[in-house]
Amino acid sequence: MEYNLEVAELEKKYSNFHLKHINIKLPKGKIIGLVGENGSGKTTTIKSILNLIKYDKGNIKIFGKNTNNLTKIDREKIGVVLDDSFFAPILNVNDINKLMKKFYHNWNEKYYFEKVKKFNIPTNKPLKEFSSGMKMKIKVLCALAHEPKLLILDEPTNGLDPIFRYEIVDLFADFVSNKENSILMTTHITSDLEHLVDEVIFILQGNIILDIAKNKIDNEYGIIEILPENISKIKKEDYLKCLKYKNIYYILVDSRLEFQKKYPKLEIRKPTLEEIMLILVKGE
Amino acid sequence: MNTLKGLLLKDLYVFKNFKSNIIFSVFMFIFLITMASLRMDIFTAGSILFLIFFGMNSISSFSYDENADSDKYLLSLPITRKEIVFTKYLFVFLNSFISLLIGIIISFIITLLIRGKINNIADSLRVCLIAFTSVSFLMCSNLPCIYKWGVEKGRMQSVIIPAIFIFILGIFGGLLLMFFPELYQDIDLLYLFKISPFICVILNILFYLISYLISFKIYLKKSI
Repeated sequence: MEYNLEVAELEKKYSNFHLKHINIKLPKGKIIGLVGENGSGKTTTIKSILNLIKYDKGNIKIFGKNTNNLTKIDREKIGVVLDDSFFAPILNVNDINKLMKKFYHNWNEKYYFEKVKKFNIPTNKPLKEFSSGMKMKIKVLCALAHEPKLLILDEPTNGLDPIFRYEIVDLFADFVSNKENSILMTTHITSDLEHLVDEVIFILQGNIILDIAKNKIDNEYGIIEILPENISKIKKEDYLKCLKYKNIYYILVDSRLEFQKKYPKLEIRKPTLEEIMLILVKGE
Repeated sequence: MNTLKGLLLKDLYVFKNFKSNIIFSVFMFIFLITMASLRMDIFTAGSILFLIFFGMNSISSFSYDENADSDKYLLSLPITRKEIVFTKYLFVFLNSFISLLIGIIISFIITLLIRGKINNIADSLRVCLIAFTSVSFLMCSNLPCIYKWGVEKGRMQSVIIPAIFIFILGIFGGLLLMFFPELYQDIDLLYLFKISPFICVILNILFYLISYLISFKIYLKKSI
């Protein structure tokens, strides 16, 4: 299998935070979602991949090359959206087009302005007058309009209204449909990943706590809602974690089939990514 | 080359934000120079004032980048740290140089129109070049502070560090005067003034080169 991105044993230590044993293998044509609460290490991982910070240990390869050895041509094949960083707010959509044309050989002006028109983004207003959602739309367009092969997206759906989130998720799905392109995206809005990602990596306090194929979640994982008086009937070894919320216990299991065999009377359903994240982070 | 052009363009766009202020200031400047020229020849003073007033505006491009955290984004594009630092220095230099040039042209035209002639134009241009070198010194001692601490946090250091340099130079000059007074007697100030353009060029190259190397080293190690 060919990989567009490989992260092996990445480690970065700060005085109050330690990111460790981060392993990511992103094959061509796939989308991986990096999920975790704020401050869990998602952005540190992205910054390490983009060489914005010096990591302490590990190895990161993009298109099979160590990130330190990437040429400009290689870097032109990477599209990036960063949640908290962009051009100065005095620039407008036309200015950004002029700049990006200088930075990328493959800058597709036609695609850029087509999408600008489609998403009703004003061309002469400075970015400072944009809503956060509008700003994010431009960031996403900038990441896509130079025909990259790998997208690295840090919270790309932050601040977006549901309609544009739907449109953008569709853009991403279309982007990987050629089986050559890949996406690594971080988010805490897990609902965006439900119908998009092939693999989900849950990260907590700098550690990967679960790295799983999305279809495995869909086909095997299960959640059971149970009242407090019945919780003692379930053995601890039969479930992964359990969370009490509004006087109901939510039990996460990694095999619906096996659990159903042992407890045929209990109703079991497919969990959402948000439920998994919550139970993994807050559960016992 | 395209990347450098793009980065320069990005910095130039900053001026868009205070376009009307710049136009107003230029007209005010023209008005004041015209008024002053009615009484005396202020070709040199006018040129230097224009340089001081407009030549240091380039710092604002750092503020805009800092506020938008633009460097993080730029470094995720096919742009190197070296290109970012180099372009900033180019921008700072060009901004000062063009400001001086425009100042000279405006002052020249006004002085010529009102007074009919300019006295000692070569000497005036020499003084302008010395002023330009002083501005270069200030800017070049500021830039590494900005790269190290940022525009906001480095504000104090940007004042203190050039002051320390000037203080050390003053002490050094004072000690020389105290212990080797004959050195000063031997200096031909007129000759020094005559060759000042050559000295200024050398000093400008040195200031920019040393400052660039320090800033680049700081920026290379910086976590963005």
